[in-house]
Amino acid sequence: MSVSRDDFSIAFRSALLQRGGAQKFSVLSLIFLALFIFFIDVYGAKFTKPIRGLINDIVYRITFLASAPTRFFPEAKKDLSNYFNVKDENIRLRAEIEKYKLLQLNVEFLSDENKNLQKILETEYFNKNLSNIILAKVLVDKNSPFLKSIIINKGKKAGILKGMPVTKDNYLVGRVVDTNYLSSRVLLLNDLNSRIPVTLDQGAQAILSGSGSANPTLEYLPEDYEIAENINIFASGKDGIFSPGTPIGITSETGDVNLFVDPNQLSFVTVNLNTQTKGKF
Amino acid sequence: MAKGSFVSKIYNSGPLILLYYLCISEVDTNFEKIFEFFTLNFQIILIYFWVLKRPEIMANGHIFLAGLINDVVMGFPLGISSLSYLIIIFVGTYVRNKSVNTTIASDWFTFFMAMVFSNLLFFSLLNNFSDLSFSLTKIGYNMFFTLFMFPIFWLIFNLYQLSFIGGRDA
Repeated sequence: MSVSRDDFSIAFRSALLQRGGAQKFSVLSLIFLALFIFFIDVYGAKFTKPIRGLINDIVYRITFLASAPTRFFPEAKKDLSNYFNVKDENIRLRAEIEKYKLLQLNVEFLSDENKNLQKILETEYFNKNLSNIILAKVLVDKNSPFLKSIIINKGKKAGILKGMPVTKDNYLVGRVVDTNYLSSRVLLLNDLNSRIPVTLDQGAQAILSGSGSANPTLEYLPEDYEIAENINIFASGKDGIFSPGTPIGITSETGDVNLFVDPNQLSFVTVNLNTQTKGKF
Repeated sequence: MAKGSFVSKIYNSGPLILLYYLCISEVDTNFEKIFEFFTLNFQIILIYFWVLKRPEIMANGHIFLAGLINDVVMGFPLGISSLSYLIIIFVGTYVRNKSVNTTIASDWFTFFMAMVFSNLLFFSLLNNFSDLSFSLTKIGYNMFFTLFMFPIFWLIFNLYQLSFIGGRDA
């Protein structure tokens, strides 16, 4: 019995302390080092923030370069497929141009009418200052089962602050949760930690909660409210972060929300510098 | 001779290069597009197998560094993936010290133990020391598929070991 206990303690100690050969560090010393780094990072001593930011910027750039081969093949396949479909595409686009020419007149009329109505209501036309919207490239889009986020190539240097809304084609995709000097992390709407106040078509208010899957869900809807299919969801702007009326998605049969922008297909996004927030995220 | 030695070094470094590449690149083992819950933690399979079979080609320091890189890319607090990987190394080394002959079944069972300890530490630290929240269902599926896929990768790695590195207890 005592021999067995001795065996256990020898194997245990050996597993923790053994070095030699290729092992320059023992597991125990590395565990202590990892714990030290972890607590320094979590409790955020002042000097660690810039160091962490610098490390992030360097690693994100390397990740972007290292991922180049994985981006090349899907892009090449897409380009090849586009090349073979160019004739059909041309015919389709000509038809679409005709359609949009007709629609343009209507849009101009509605746009003028909208501006006039906003003047009457004395509300701010929130999209008028386009110079404060910056375009950013998605550096890293690593899919994780637990965290849905992307890294963009603009950071504090470009004026990005924590909390700023991120859009693509004017559709909301998420918000900035971490900024470095040259890069930022954007939390996507479908992340489990994402909560956004929204307005539904009929004026009902709710919270759009990320579920970790592709489709976020609506929470805190009015009592007895029944979700129907094809209801448009907009940011309500009640949090002071997102521009009110920014389109987000549309309700599906099951009651969750189909986002207008596929969070897995982002290459370029825009960050709205107008909406300044200093909230805690 | 020198050329042979160089090629052999490349083959020996294969698992380590793969580990670094998985941590630093966009490549992931998250197949949610194919099947909603199909995600697996390939890194821990890779580490456990090579720590158990050929620890000399998977040095502790490199695994620690790969964990730090993984934390930066994924946005986790620094050091948490390293800790999780070190627990895998610890269990793997312990099992290697205690056993003479291993089979796929015994490796599978001990891998399960290593994965439970590692994930327990990882998620309890994240839960207590960060604002991130996680779906327990997703964690469960991730663990299930990681465990489920272990024998398949065990066979592939064994084949790699026999073909390119040279067998020891494969």
